Amino acid sequence: MKRTVKPPFLVAIGITLSATCLVPARAFAQLRPPAPDSTIGIAVQRRFAEAARLRVGDTVQVSSAEAAGWRMALIVAVYEPLPDPSSIMRRDYQVRLHLSDLATLVRQPDRVDRIGIVLRPGIDPDTAATRLNRTAFGYDVSPSRAIASQSSMTFVVVSRFHRAIAVISVLASTVFLLCLMLLKVEERRRDVAMLRFTGISRRTVFIALVFEAAIIALAGSMIGAGIAVAASAAVNAYYQRAFETSLIFSQLTSTTMLFALALSVLLGLAAGALAAWRMVRTAPVELWSRAA
Amino acid sequence: MMPVILARNVDKQYRLAKQDIHAVRGVSLSVATGEYLAVVGPSGSGKSTLLTLLGGLDQPSAGSIALLGQELGGLSDRALTRLRLERVGFVFQRFHLLPVLTASENIELPMAERRVPRAERRVRTRELLDYVAMSHRADHRATQLSGGEMQRVAIARALANQPAILLADEPTGELDAATGREILALFRRLHGDGLTLVVVTHDDRLAADAQRVIHMLDGRIAG
Amino acid sequence: MSWRRAVRDLLRHRVRTALSLLGVAIATALLLDMVLLSGGIERSFGRLLVSRGYQLRVSPRGTLPFDTDATLDSAGQLLAALRAEPGVARAGAVLGTTAFVRRRQALTPLVVYGVTPEAQGIYQLDRGRDLAPTDTTSVLLGTPSARRLGLGIGDTLRLVGRLDPRVAAAAVTRLVTVRGLARFVYDAKDQPSVAVTLRLAQRLAGPAAVNRASLFMMQTTSGARADSVAAQLRRKYPAVSINSVADMVAQFRLRLSYFRQLSLILGSISLVVTVLLVGTLLSIAVNERIGEIAALRAIGIARSSILRQVVLEGLLLTVTGGTLGVGLGIGTARWLDAILTSFPGLPAAISFFVPDARQLSTAAITLLITGVLAGLLPASRAASTPIAATLRNDAP
Repeated sequence: MKRTVKPPFLVAIGITLSATCLVPARAFAQLRPPAPDSTIGIAVQRRFAEAARLRVGDTVQVSSAEAAGWRMALIVAVYEPLPDPSSIMRRDYQVRLHLSDLATLVRQPDRVDRIGIVLRPGIDPDTAATRLNRTAFGYDVSPSRAIASQSSMTFVVVSRFHRAIAVISVLASTVFLLCLMLLKVEERRRDVAMLRFTGISRRTVFIALVFEAAIIALAGSMIGAGIAVAASAAVNAYYQRAFETSLIFSQLTSTTMLFALALSVLLGLAAGALAAWRMVRTAPVELWSRAA
Repeated sequence: MMPVILARNVDKQYRLAKQDIHAVRGVSLSVATGEYLAVVGPSGSGKSTLLTLLGGLDQPSAGSIALLGQELGGLSDRALTRLRLERVGFVFQRFHLLPVLTASENIELPMAERRVPRAERRVRTRELLDYVAMSHRADHRATQLSGGEMQRVAIARALANQPAILLADEPTGELDAATGREILALFRRLHGDGLTLVVVTHDDRLAADAQRVIHMLDGRIAG
Repeated sequence: MSWRRAVRDLLRHRVRTALSLLGVAIATALLLDMVLLSGGIERSFGRLLVSRGYQLRVSPRGTLPFDTDATLDSAGQLLAALRAEPGVARAGAVLGTTAFVRRRQALTPLVVYGVTPEAQGIYQLDRGRDLAPTDTTSVLLGTPSARRLGLGIGDTLRLVGRLDPRVAAAAVTRLVTVRGLARFVYDAKDQPSVAVTLRLAQRLAGPAAVNRASLFMMQTTSGARADSVAAQLRRKYPAVSINSVADMVAQFRLRLSYFRQLSLILGSISLVVTVLLVGTLLSIAVNERIGEIAALRAIGIARSSILRQVVLEGLLLTVTGGTLGVGLGIGTARWLDAILTSFPGLPAAISFFVPDARQLSTAAITLLITGVLAGLLPASRAASTPIAATLRNDAP
């Protein structure tokens, strides 16, 4: 049975140490009863627990690239890491150890990667960072915001890429729409000739054609919006399942939806108007003969 | 001598705009080799439908038609198409030339379909253009030709594969009087050269030129 | 005559044909880009990995080269053992660490690669002379570090090793001379890297790095297959990770599966757009010419000829639009590549859009088939036109 337990011993840790911590697969075959004196506590990620069929209370052996041997570890918690977009492509499994246990395991007893600092209320992080950088030797002090911005660079690039793809898609859709509207209006050549023969003014015919184009554009846009909602749901369902995460991959906001709807209706209208304009400028006799 | 066309008790019904139309009712007809037959009648009398049946463009609802000795009812679509290509010439009221092709290319089209060698096609096209007095417009696109010129090219196209019979549906229907006369003259000449002609027409002058005229009314031969 | 006729038929409506061609061109450009993207990065990565002739990498267990800060212990002994393995032609060790150069009051950080100069696969010497195996007084500068430090061949600099905050001083400092300028093949753009001998790098990295290395790179002998040698070494050295180029490309592929899936989806969409565009245009063209088609059937033109003519038009649209799209696609691929290669930490030599003859020909054939399929429906409708009924409806 899988149980998710909140690991309280990690919450208060202000100093973290990251290192490669291996839990080789062969260790799972060596489950043994805990030996309280030498056994360390370990929390394992839910995904890992499921893949390796581990439960709270099981014992595994752990080691690291730097360690000389293996240590017994008792699984004290199964946890769900906070969804992190920067790590979803990595299929590694995560485990959490007490800092001292991990430090011993990687044979770096007095070394940490990062130190987290909570400032007193009212102190500006940028000013504090500048002061610390000036006085400290060997540290690089950065405000959390700066680190977040740096680490989100990957997503900035992905966003830029998505935007570029969107530009190409909009361009393709514009041409597609323009072409369809042109064809749609040209199909009405005979009707337009008839209307003009019966004395209906160019203006009236133009308005009728544009109105028709608007209805088609609106109806098409609505259907498109429906497809987008379904596609977005499918994308999220697929990737959330594939990466076992609750992250949202496709976010269809009302702004996006309105923008897409407005753009397609406007493009449809513009394309319809262009086609209608070409049509009403042509002499009815010519239209009739071309339709024949 | 075997007739070119032999129709026996031909009936044709079809649905148009949710209405059953009985276009041809019990028509029996024989057209001899070299004969010039005109089919006349008011609009909706079934004369054009009869022509499509005689030319194998449609199947009768009842009765049978033999064209050049072959029962059309027993032929596959492919065989019918081949028969039309090789033995029947069609001329339409609206000419139906391909607007993107020149006069020569339009005439060459049925020969190309029949895989006549290019050189032979060229010679035959020149002869036909001369025949219909259109040599000077050989390289003009169909859209650049007048109605009469288009119809002359359409007749040349119908003659391309040296058919045994020419079927024409209102060939002067879209032409003015003077141009119509030119087409009449051309038909006379074709008949004079021994071609079997069946022409559906409203045009009294065209009917007057024919050896035999049949009148249709409500899908029946009235006389 | 068929091709000429198809061209003229398309030219009958120049605006709509031009728009359709543009649509097909954009769709083709997108398809081309997605084909290049689908395996481009892997191909590029694969080529980069073998660019210096080293087919195998040994790294701390469970890691990929330079994926973490973990290092391998007993580097000297392990290197000697690996060099003695059958199937291994050359093996070299690399240690990655950070060092600084003091300039005025500031410390400029540098990425330091400690290498065994007699067998190294991480840089290509551009100018000057290479490091000697036991030389601890020389350094090779990468172009970004030379530019940043304003140094050239023959200049000296003081490398400051790992800093110890408790004593507010560097553990080790070394005066070194620039012997040459090198191009570091796996470096990100503007990464300030330098190369020194492994021994010097270990000293600069501090006591914890004595006799350690980040990875080993190996060349196999000419007759040996890299995968077989990797498998044999894996059995013998279970405490380390041994990866062939194919293994690393596979790992890389897993991490970048998003781009593969995206390219598949967008590539499919572009094909659908092509089908819709060509199909719609031809359907309307067939509708407009239905009387003409019925007349052609009446004069004995076979169904197959009509079918062929319409399909030909679709093919012509697809091929012409596709040809235009290739140019457009190359342009957009460069644009998209410039965006994607700005991923932080990505080797500058990596490209996301790399052509592959087999994939490109598959895409071209797929596009052609798409064009034919798009034309088939309107073409079959044209070919099955009921002659008499159409002529009757077409009558004035």
